[in-house]
Amino acid sequence: MIPCWRLARVLVRRKNTGNIYSIMPTSDTDHRLLSLLHTPGLWRGSEHPCSESGITDPGLSTGFPGLDACLPWQGWPAAALVEIITPQWGIGELQLVLPLLRRLSQQGRMSLWFAPPCSPYAPALLASGVDPACLYVVSAAPAQTLWGIEKALQDASCALVLAWPGRLNSRQIRRLQLAASTGRTLGILFHHTPLRQSAAVLRLRVDATAQGLRVEVLKARGSYRQDTVAVTRGQP
Amino acid sequence: MTGRLYQLPLTGKPQRPLRLAQRRAAQAEAPEAGLAARQTPLWYAVALPQLLGIPDEQSRKDRLTLLADRLGTLSATVSVEAPDCLVFEARSSLRYFGGIGKLRALLQQLLEPVLSEWGLPVSVHHAASPTPAASLLLARAGCNLLIHRKENLRSALGRLSVQSLSMPVSRRRQLHASGLRSLRDVWRLPGHALGQRFGTQFLRQLDQCLGRIASPVRTYQSPPRFNSSLEFEYAVETTQRLLPAVEELLERLCSFLRARDLSTLHLHLSLLHESQSPTLLTLDMRHAGRAEAPLLLLLETRLSTLALPAPVSGMQLEAWRFKATSGSSHSLAGFVTEGTGRSAPREAIAPLLTLLQARLGDAAVRSLQCHEEHCPEHAAGQAVCGQEQGEPGSGQTETLQARRPCWLLPEPVLLRQDNNRLFYRGSLRLRSGPERIETRWWTGQEVCRDYYVADNARGMRLWIFHEREGERRWFLHGIFD
Repeated sequence: MIPCWRLARVLVRRKNTGNIYSIMPTSDTDHRLLSLLHTPGLWRGSEHPCSESGITDPGLSTGFPGLDACLPWQGWPAAALVEIITPQWGIGELQLVLPLLRRLSQQGRMSLWFAPPCSPYAPALLASGVDPACLYVVSAAPAQTLWGIEKALQDASCALVLAWPGRLNSRQIRRLQLAASTGRTLGILFHHTPLRQSAAVLRLRVDATAQGLRVEVLKARGSYRQDTVAVTRGQP
Repeated sequence: MTGRLYQLPLTGKPQRPLRLAQRRAAQAEAPEAGLAARQTPLWYAVALPQLLGIPDEQSRKDRLTLLADRLGTLSATVSVEAPDCLVFEARSSLRYFGGIGKLRALLQQLLEPVLSEWGLPVSVHHAASPTPAASLLLARAGCNLLIHRKENLRSALGRLSVQSLSMPVSRRRQLHASGLRSLRDVWRLPGHALGQRFGTQFLRQLDQCLGRIASPVRTYQSPPRFNSSLEFEYAVETTQRLLPAVEELLERLCSFLRARDLSTLHLHLSLLHESQSPTLLTLDMRHAGRAEAPLLLLLETRLSTLALPAPVSGMQLEAWRFKATSGSSHSLAGFVTEGTGRSAPREAIAPLLTLLQARLGDAAVRSLQCHEEHCPEHAAGQAVCGQEQGEPGSGQTETLQARRPCWLLPEPVLLRQDNNRLFYRGSLRLRSGPERIETRWWTGQEVCRDYYVADNARGMRLWIFHEREGERRWFLHGIFD
């Protein structure tokens, strides 16, 4: 019988060294270990939190293989809130969502853009394969915008919500995250001022580099990895 | 009891059978005596030649239907005979109105204010006869005639020109060449020979005029209109308190719609105040609906953002534009396949857009539009959702070869220039270009620019241009993604 403290140490060691957090039984002796794992009081880290937490939705590919690899959903989470934090707008953060927009517009699914910093330019979207007919732009006063974002996230008919809501507090973010999970809609917030804690399922910090973008995973629910991925921009 | 019932016909009105008998005797003198003679209808035709002066066909039609609506007070059977006539059955209501003279005066009273409001002459032509076709011919020809009996139709119509019948030009020429000028000339010819020479259609028209065969009349039905109101016992000051009344009105509306199998796209709610003009709320929906819950949610959302100018003493709900309900069909097997809710996303998202528009205002939700234009700022536009001209985003069929920024500034921003260097949040470095755009010389505001792609120190990729004429300034026009 392996004492409980030893088991805990195995878990911690593995967490510190590599990417594999779950324990697979390799021999008969580990059966006792396996029975221990069935005790409900024991929390278990997992590489694939989706299957553990009962989420059956596969992720939506970001279109960047490097980024997909370091996200637990192998892409964007399907029904959740994502925060993209940039030092300022216009450094290329839209690049990250363009492949997704392109795929959704091919499927004819709708996206809503709330309070974008500037008017999206339809010919450019068309040139990058996004049908402008598949998106609507909503602009209103900040408080009303939040109401609209929540309603859109709760509505299953809307596949994607992109929002530039300005400064938010943690209660507001939690509320939006709840709305996204009830409506099974992906919501992506763009802002500049990260909170220390946030209920968003995925938080990315995006910075501009000479080659393109540096994407840092600040938080991905169900994963400890805090990887940094470089995404190259398309050439002009 | 039985004895009394038995006696009723004798004691009731003894003179009644006698009167019937007298009338029958009087009718027996006519060639076609009996019940048929009593039922001879009287079709009253009104010709409005002044409407022919209106060039727009649709507006002519609209005005004629509006007049037909008004004639609904005179008869149950009104027919619109485009382009300039109205026909209605007058016999059934003749006694009620007190004779044909009174009816005519009433008709004149109905038409005159409307015609003078439109700035048209008020005089119209009247004719009444037992057949609608004959009445129409007589009214259009301007003979103000009243004909009670079918036998008199022949002589009355005899004066009219043959050309007043509707027929192709070749037939008109043929009639003219045959020396037939008036209908009287036609009456003299034998019927079967007429059919052989001028076609059955011609013969048919004549028979319809004379009442030998029935002429179909398309009865005009006024479009449905919902109008329901509630008066409150005391004035209500908060919008929350209005909701039960709204619910009551919506219930009435929904049962109205269900009874007619309609759905509505526009609702007009007026909040009535004691001492000032009512507050009007108009709800334009993107999808036709007749379910109560979503309508209530929309009105609730709209009311929640409304500041009441005064206490509300009553409420009125109106709807007059409807759509036939198109039911959704389900598969026979009843299987729900994955993602059926998103099968037609454009329609599926309409309730959400309507809700957003109800709270944030119509102009808050916009769709993007492309136009076939070379000039960047004119190649795109935004349209208020629900008021798009054509399909949104469908203007441009071919995609551009040159790269365009995802964000276009509403107005170009002047760039700071220092020692031959450009600055926008740091110094700029040109990456590619120039792309020359010269267009719109015909508007007087010629666009003559060289566009470049530039990076700034913060990693923004910018779309800037250099004026080729005038002050040769540099502007920032767009930002790539």
